[in-house]
Amino acid sequence: MLTPVTQSQWTRRTADHLLQRAGFGGSPSTRETFYQLGLQQGIEAAVDSLVEPSENWDQHPWPEWSTEIDPNGELGPSTGERRYDIVRWYMNMLRNGQPLAGKILKFLVDHFAVNHDASRGEARFMNTLRFFDMLRKHAAGKEEGYGSFDTLLNHVSWSESMIWTLDMYESKANNINENFGRELLELFTLGVNGGYTEDDVGAAAEAFTGRKTYRHQSPVPDSYQWDPKYLAPEGMPRGAAYQNENQQDLLPKVMLGQSKTPGGSRITTGDDILAVIFADIECAKHLTWKLWRYFVSSNPDAVLIEDLATRFRDEHKYEIRPLLREIFLSQEFYDASVIGGQIKDAADSVITFFNALEFDLTPPRATYNLLEQLNYNPIYPPNISGWAEPESEGNEWMSSGALLFRINLPSVWIQQNRNVLNDSRSRDEIFAMPPVDFEKLAPPELRDLDNFPMLIAKLTDRFMPLVPLRKSQVRILYDQYKKSSQRIDDDEALKELLVLVLALPQNQMQ
Amino acid sequence: MKSNISRRDFVKKSSWGAAASLTLPAFLQNTFFSLDARASTLPSLGGNGPITIIIEMGGGNDSLNTVIPFQNEIYLGARPNISLREEHGLLDLGQASNILGTTDTLALHPNMTNLHQLWQEGQMAIVNGVGYPNPNLSHFTSFDYLHTAMPNTNAIDGWVGRYFDSQCSGCDATQAIELARTQTRAFASSGGVSPSVTFSDPDSYGWKALETTGRDVPLEQLYRELVGLDHIVDDGIDLKNDALSYVQRSTHNAMISARTVHEANENGAELLVEDWPDTSLGRDLQRIARLIKGGMDTSIYYAHQNGYDTHNNQTSGDNPLSGKHFNLLGNFDQSVGALIQELKLAGVWDRVVIMTISEFGRKVIENGSSGTDHGAAESIFVMGGGVQGGQFYGDFPDLAEDARVKRDSLDFNVDFRTVYRSILQNWMGVPPESMADIFPLQPSNFSPLSFI
Repeated sequence: MLTPVTQSQWTRRTADHLLQRAGFGGSPSTRETFYQLGLQQGIEAAVDSLVEPSENWDQHPWPEWSTEIDPNGELGPSTGERRYDIVRWYMNMLRNGQPLAGKILKFLVDHFAVNHDASRGEARFMNTLRFFDMLRKHAAGKEEGYGSFDTLLNHVSWSESMIWTLDMYESKANNINENFGRELLELFTLGVNGGYTEDDVGAAAEAFTGRKTYRHQSPVPDSYQWDPKYLAPEGMPRGAAYQNENQQDLLPKVMLGQSKTPGGSRITTGDDILAVIFADIECAKHLTWKLWRYFVSSNPDAVLIEDLATRFRDEHKYEIRPLLREIFLSQEFYDASVIGGQIKDAADSVITFFNALEFDLTPPRATYNLLEQLNYNPIYPPNISGWAEPESEGNEWMSSGALLFRINLPSVWIQQNRNVLNDSRSRDEIFAMPPVDFEKLAPPELRDLDNFPMLIAKLTDRFMPLVPLRKSQVRILYDQYKKSSQRIDDDEALKELLVLVLALPQNQMQ
Repeated sequence: MKSNISRRDFVKKSSWGAAASLTLPAFLQNTFFSLDARASTLPSLGGNGPITIIIEMGGGNDSLNTVIPFQNEIYLGARPNISLREEHGLLDLGQASNILGTTDTLALHPNMTNLHQLWQEGQMAIVNGVGYPNPNLSHFTSFDYLHTAMPNTNAIDGWVGRYFDSQCSGCDATQAIELARTQTRAFASSGGVSPSVTFSDPDSYGWKALETTGRDVPLEQLYRELVGLDHIVDDGIDLKNDALSYVQRSTHNAMISARTVHEANENGAELLVEDWPDTSLGRDLQRIARLIKGGMDTSIYYAHQNGYDTHNNQTSGDNPLSGKHFNLLGNFDQSVGALIQELKLAGVWDRVVIMTISEFGRKVIENGSSGTDHGAAESIFVMGGGVQGGQFYGDFPDLAEDARVKRDSLDFNVDFRTVYRSILQNWMGVPPESMADIFPLQPSNFSPLSFI
């Protein structure tokens, strides 16, 4: 069982930790407001302010070309620009949506990694938008029927993106393609050690046969005209998914040793398979384990996970937010080894930096480009298991190249450095934005050499409040600042200081 | 070419680190002394040692449509739509023994002409039936097993990492280089930090902050001091094996290696082959060629070609001379062909061995989508001037046994660890007694193969 956290444990440090893990940190004033909320109204109120389903999606409209010009995008901008728009739209949901909704969305985009190019032709743009939109509704948990993992799985299995990514569209009764069946068990629910057999993979694949998508009819006048029989009927979205009953395997199946669903009926359809899987504690354990690793720490106690998994399945009916509420109100979440002990993933690193810098999200092309160089393109996962975890066993995620890019990245904003991003138009987009307000980061009165301790405290509190610098590092920075503040004007000395501080390993931690 | 050069040099390299280890934790002696101080004070190997390049065919290469039993009735029957047959212009490989004690006539995929020429020149060997016991059909788990070389366990360190742990303690950070976005588990050390780096493009690999004019100490130098590269004594350095320490160690490795990589990349910039394929693999192999020619001290390179997960449209329509797999193998053949040609022209081909590996092969029977599902054993290629090529090693599988079974696949008879061992021992010069450290879990038949 988790141990409940007590009110006396609410400090600026615990508040910063919670805001960072359940969201993406914030500006000093945002963090102070959040701290005061928990101080005045209690730690539960602070947690509730994050986990209560609340989201104003009006702030995140679909790209204009997807709705107003043409749902299929063929009359809109180039395919490259549309990809930038989709990624910018996603990043805007992380940056400017409800913080926890963004954090959960990022988890789901990784857990259900679909490849934008798996869908053919122009259909891909609509499919990716719909898929991300469905995930964000589950991340927000606000609308009826969204927010629990079992319904989420049903929606994923019927999404056009997944039907194409894992080959369901070509899996037929008597002639299965096992791709979705296998990853359903291995990645999405039970986990690779979740106790299923090769026969279970086959049974799952058989149950999800005959899932198809209708064709997209391009509105461009001279384009190929599909026979109407291939198009979605009136009332259904263009290119929607549907069941081809002739290709569906409806024979009774044995799944995980069961021949009946928990409801007592025979196992025939995909939904029956999901019902059996979600009744299995291994499914709850795998999902709880993965959520714990994402939100808390990399090596959770097995007994703790089993207990929490049972509550996830039986009490919370697989609803994500109530589970997170329990975690955020536990002492384990605020353990000294947890705070500042996680390596930021690529999106954490970018959005936390923009929040701390109080700088707007970059325009579409620049956003796309810098994420690519950070090895995080949300519409092109490296493979169907998503991105390597920031802190997986063996830490294999952190390539030296991506790390050096992270180390160099802040100088784009601090020094207007053109040498970091490899795409000149992206650089132009960033440099056309209003420049960083150095007065706000470090008021002139702090820049006196005598005030150096206060200056460095102010900067590190803004950018890396959870992991302190070492004394030797402060000494080196002081010596450097002393020399350069005598030699060059104050802004230059401050910029050099910032470039060095933001490149430190401490800035990779959260 | 057999070589013990690397072994001697490794021992020589190790002496500094060995002395330091008496007083300092392992990763500190690596980071502070051996990696940096030693790199600038001891003579470099000058890039004369043996090199192994590993190319992963990610996704599970359908090796039955790569090394093709085109006369085998079971193969032809199990793949009515996607089999390659005599009329498709197959490239003859001759007879290979199979595990039934008879032979199969095999041919190379028609889009692999460069490799076929290498085979005819006796510089490419094919090892059939490569796999491991209790094959796992998950991409990720199976690759984990190939990387840790400890199948059916949850080991987290890798075989290349343990090779360096055993043979190269205190070596500098670029003993192994991977062209990729995330580092392979094969490089993970069993303790301390693996002397390896991973990046996708050498050109953007380095410290890039702007230097303001007129300063006496460059910012990069200050940064190196800040992260503990150029001074040992510190009031609060974190010795724990936690995430922050890991980032610190990775930062050290990256900063140290950036200079040497940059230098070699410039030295080797002039290309001798003109028609390098402009593909991801082609570009990565070109980068490796530049680093080798530029004099890197690196002994293991790792590159990737992805896309072999051909569950659908493996061949396009009913034409096996088109489609995904045809294009993948063509890209592979042209990219590897260009690499070999470049290294030959530069006079360094005799120092290089190339090994391919995929996480698994694919099933004998085709699926409902003109594709194939995940299988088990595979055929792999080993290429090099010192390779005993033009012949097969291992036995070709019994297709009948597999084609009958809906969800099983090819039997293996050569453990992949034996292939790794053969290269380490017969090519890299690792003594047999070290194999217990590098391969804590050994297969039953672990005698090195004679392909090298």
